[in-house]
Amino acid sequence: MLRAIPLVAGLYPYVRMGSAVSDEARTIQLAASELTMATERSQALFGARQNLLTELRVIAEDCCAEDWDGCSGVAISAEALQKAEDLIRTLPEGIPLPEVAPEPDGSLSMDWIRSPYRLYSLSVGPVNRLAYAWLDGTDKGHGVVGFDGMSLPSRVITDIQRIMVDDDAAVRSA
Amino acid sequence: MLPSGLPESVSDDEDLSRFLVHRSQFSEKLAKPSAFMPNPKDRETSVYRHGREPVEKLRHLGMAAAGDRTLYGAAIFPAKVVRKVGLEIAASEPPLRHAAIRGWPWRDDDPLEGKAKQKSIAIDIASAAGKPVIF
Repeated sequence: MLRAIPLVAGLYPYVRMGSAVSDEARTIQLAASELTMATERSQALFGARQNLLTELRVIAEDCCAEDWDGCSGVAISAEALQKAEDLIRTLPEGIPLPEVAPEPDGSLSMDWIRSPYRLYSLSVGPVNRLAYAWLDGTDKGHGVVGFDGMSLPSRVITDIQRIMVDDDAAVRSA
Repeated sequence: MLPSGLPESVSDDEDLSRFLVHRSQFSEKLAKPSAFMPNPKDRETSVYRHGREPVEKLRHLGMAAAGDRTLYGAAIFPAKVVRKVGLEIAASEPPLRHAAIRGWPWRDDDPLEGKAKQKSIAIDIASAAGKPVIF
């Protein structure tokens, strides 16, 4: 039961492989896709991750029209939603699930918030690159990484883990 | 003096309110960085010159700003935070008490590089604002 989430994360590259040409490859892709969907549908197996995917879709629907925020906010596109769903599905075991929010440029923000002084924020839009920034006590950083829809760069995972899981981060002095 | 009776220049010790019009823009402990990100059309973040108190006046101001959207709360932070992170804050009436945060980094040649810098600044503002006022 507890191994269900890594199983789904491990299958996801097979689900997303768009260039399957042989009969065997197509069979594997179909089987992986069916198993992934069946697992996601099972609340008992997929739990919080399924709830987050549902929340993402609700936000995307809330913000599917231009000016959703009254400040000329750009609508969240189907492509941005797809990339955000891909990212959620590929998060490895041991990384807490993020909070999600819409951004004025039509991206979806994924935020790992441990405290007001320890947080990591990643923007997912329709392209294969992600803008990120983090604050860890007195340390901070930002940058852009590639995302192929199948796995997150290890740098991102390491940074999130440091902020959300590790205990030895710098603490901002009052 | 502006129509609101406020001075033209926003002083460092004035509080600014960013109204929260989507339920996922905040938690009990923090207004999320996305709540402070600039609008890509005018490259500004819209705020109002009002602090936590009186709450009822803040709420009325927020309801007028939100229009037909649901108003959930407000993130409050001093104007000096905006200047400390390298941005500008300027009065922008009407509507009354409205102001705009300007000077966000922007990279037309590589929008995502500019956005990463914007996110870093938005995190600083969110961190300084702390717990939002929830209506």
